[in-house]
Amino acid sequence: MKRIFALLLAVVMLAGLVPTMAQEAPAGVFLGTWPYVLKPDHNLNSFSPNGPTANLGVVYWQLVEMPAAFYKWAADEYVGLLAESWGFVDGGYELTLKEATWSDGSPVTADDVVATYGIGRILGWSQFNTVASVEKVADRTVRFVWSGEPSLLAERLILKENIRPAATYGALAEEALALAADGKTRDDQEWKDLNAKINDFRPDALLASGPYTYTLDDVGDSYMSLFWQPNSLYSGTVNFGEIRLWAGETEVTTPLVLNGDIAWSTNVYPPATQQAFQDAGIRLLIQPRGYGPSLLFNHDVAPWNIKEVRQVAALVIDRSENAFLTNGFGATGTQYMAGILDAQVPNMLTQDVIDQLNPYTFNPEAAADIMTQLGYTRNDAGKWVDAEGNTIKSEYKFPGDFADFSAAAQNATDQLNEFGFDITPRAVPWQQARDDIFAGNFELSVWSWGAGSPFAFSHLRNPVIRFNYAGLGEGQPGMNFPMEFEWRGEQINLTDLINNVNVGLDVAAQQERAGKIALILNDLMPFIPLNIILSTEPWNEAELAGAPADDDPILQNPSSDSFVILYLLEGQIAPAGG
Amino acid sequence: MTTFTFILIRQMPGNPFSIKVEQLMREQNLTVEEATNRAGALFDFDPNRPLLEQYTEYMGKLLRGDLGKSIISSEPVMNMLLRFLPWTLFSVGLGLLISFGLGILIGMLMAYWRGSLFDNVMTAFASVMYGIPDYVIALLLIIVAGVQLRILPFAQMLGGSTPGIEPGFRLDYILDLLFHAFLPVFTYVITSLGGWMLTMKSSTMSTLGEDYITVARARGLSQRRLLTAYIGRNAMLPLVTRLAISVGFIVGGAVIIETLYQYPGLGRNLATAILVRDYTVMQGIFLVIAISVVFSNILADLLFGLLDPRVRLGKEDAS
Repeated sequence: MKRIFALLLAVVMLAGLVPTMAQEAPAGVFLGTWPYVLKPDHNLNSFSPNGPTANLGVVYWQLVEMPAAFYKWAADEYVGLLAESWGFVDGGYELTLKEATWSDGSPVTADDVVATYGIGRILGWSQFNTVASVEKVADRTVRFVWSGEPSLLAERLILKENIRPAATYGALAEEALALAADGKTRDDQEWKDLNAKINDFRPDALLASGPYTYTLDDVGDSYMSLFWQPNSLYSGTVNFGEIRLWAGETEVTTPLVLNGDIAWSTNVYPPATQQAFQDAGIRLLIQPRGYGPSLLFNHDVAPWNIKEVRQVAALVIDRSENAFLTNGFGATGTQYMAGILDAQVPNMLTQDVIDQLNPYTFNPEAAADIMTQLGYTRNDAGKWVDAEGNTIKSEYKFPGDFADFSAAAQNATDQLNEFGFDITPRAVPWQQARDDIFAGNFELSVWSWGAGSPFAFSHLRNPVIRFNYAGLGEGQPGMNFPMEFEWRGEQINLTDLINNVNVGLDVAAQQERAGKIALILNDLMPFIPLNIILSTEPWNEAELAGAPADDDPILQNPSSDSFVILYLLEGQIAPAGG
Repeated sequence: MTTFTFILIRQMPGNPFSIKVEQLMREQNLTVEEATNRAGALFDFDPNRPLLEQYTEYMGKLLRGDLGKSIISSEPVMNMLLRFLPWTLFSVGLGLLISFGLGILIGMLMAYWRGSLFDNVMTAFASVMYGIPDYVIALLLIIVAGVQLRILPFAQMLGGSTPGIEPGFRLDYILDLLFHAFLPVFTYVITSLGGWMLTMKSSTMSTLGEDYITVARARGLSQRRLLTAYIGRNAMLPLVTRLAISVGFIVGGAVIIETLYQYPGLGRNLATAILVRDYTVMQGIFLVIAISVVFSNILADLLFGLLDPRVRLGKEDAS
């Protein structure tokens, strides 16, 4: 009897021990890439320029210092990562954390969130445009108190922010909170000093809430490794013991992808390389990038200051052709011409507005009619000339070192010239191209439109505010498109309309405001949204299993909210054949 | 030189701040306001600060031996130079020495057996290799030998050493260093060898026509002695000068190769610094390049005097 009792006791004790036994790291190695910097530049302070934020990129950083939630674009819903619950409350926004722990075993608490935002305020985070303070309500609950009107955009910023450990940054956060409490602002010297102190801070170790962490010893010249740690909420679900990130950009990663040393890459590859990947049996996953090239007009330069001429330009560029030459199968011609990326148009605009949008279908004949009505005629060389016989001459300046933008600009130039304009393309370094747009030192140029954001505000402001005097500093006219004008009998302040488009929580009202702006942009055509660039990411199925099917809605997430984050954490991605 | 460099790099379009904003927007899909706010707080750089003020501060620090801190990472530039320079000196230096040694030997033999099959084959090889840029060779090595033929484990060879290996004066570490240095060194050798071969051949051929060679032959000296003590030594003189000057360009000559092979040298670091407009790091590296070129020219003059008794004796006679 005693023996049986002892045996039973031993079995019960062993059963009790099992859950507390140390988990073993999964065997798989995830082979990715990110252009991290080498030591001694590389550091572990995720608030500093060369810390994990920059060195891991937006995808891998989420696996180390997790944010509150992950957003699924197609479903318009958040999946809690560190957050257990979240939502608007009277005068604020409350966030309750799950019972999670840092890699040292200590709990993730409201103090961590307060510390994160304490420092974020010093660093000028955009959340503080709408948040007045971040207060601890309970051990795992914080409240964000609004300074102005709440918005869904503010909610996204809160839920997407990565939460850092107070154990590492607590002392700095206390200084930050004290400065804010004293009413100091970013113009005060104490504020600037603390900002510098935050940037110069070099923690010895990286505490992780996610299932992976690393030390500086894990940063090699050619690759760095994130290693599994057992104390995360997701340590039990992930299938990889190591995430290996190869350094370098496209020229370095191309052979590594072909060779099978990189299983998934987010670099931009030219069409010929994409074809080589496919020939090698490597699948291309296509996700939105959240932008595309647009033709920018300088509205100080005739005849681009005439609405109808801009509309003509929109009619004579075959945007599908332009897209293909921009990035092969990794780009699509713009469909809606509303200043909002096509995939988001059905969410952000009502069907009534969509039906009213002019699609600017390729139609040189209609364009020729408009030119004739404007008083232009074609000369013997087929070029359009004004009453004095002058052709429509312009220079199209583009960043020669951006393969996608330069291809879009050169093809647009060819198509405009084929119609009868007299455009000369000119390649300059991208920094020069951008500065010249700011300075208004261009006639035609190319830069991005749209945004990788589920909010109309971010889409609509790019480029009509971003590259226009409305969003630039003194002495920088940019496109110089007038933002105050009369449109269909109504006085319009386009800057105000765009800035307020996502204010409040009423989605229908936001759609209505966005619709009005979309119709204005569609009619005035201050820029031509040429195409939408897609991220064509090689995914080696001989190495990795678990990628979604091509028609899976999760692939509507842009690369900055990549499915890889969620699928890795939830264990849907696993080593192939494992 | 420092003034010229200081002004020139600031005339490049863009600045660290604007480039960081663009990078944040592209990589993290931030709006321009978010990106501007975050970039503004990330580093202490004011693009509107008067150039003269920046220059005065830079020169003041430089006179005290302080190269300043990286604008991006706040890391002292001197630390970065000390970390990255040895890798470049090792790989490019080793490549230079090997290609020089092989080049003079083969070039001398080409001249000695001029008109033979060996000479013709080697001349063709040298002419072709002399005309191919090093980065083309590097890409061919990776794509053809690494990816297509799979005879080169190039992924394992990237970087300066295997991640995680403990540095130390041990055989395994030294072998690891040589394994990782193979690709850059081989590329430097293969692309510079042709130049040394052709120059040595040409120099040897003019030496062969000298009277003292005819006299040496008439004295019945052995072929070996003739080649080493008479022909080789004299033919090498202009090449030694060129070698010394080449040493000066070691530092700046490895930008693309180090980037392609992920070799942790000064060239890769310079490429990164240029991309993000890290002015202080660029200034530091350009200064090192300038100093090394000046010193190598002085070295070339001194070496020439040491190796050629006619120069040395000529000076003594003149005095």
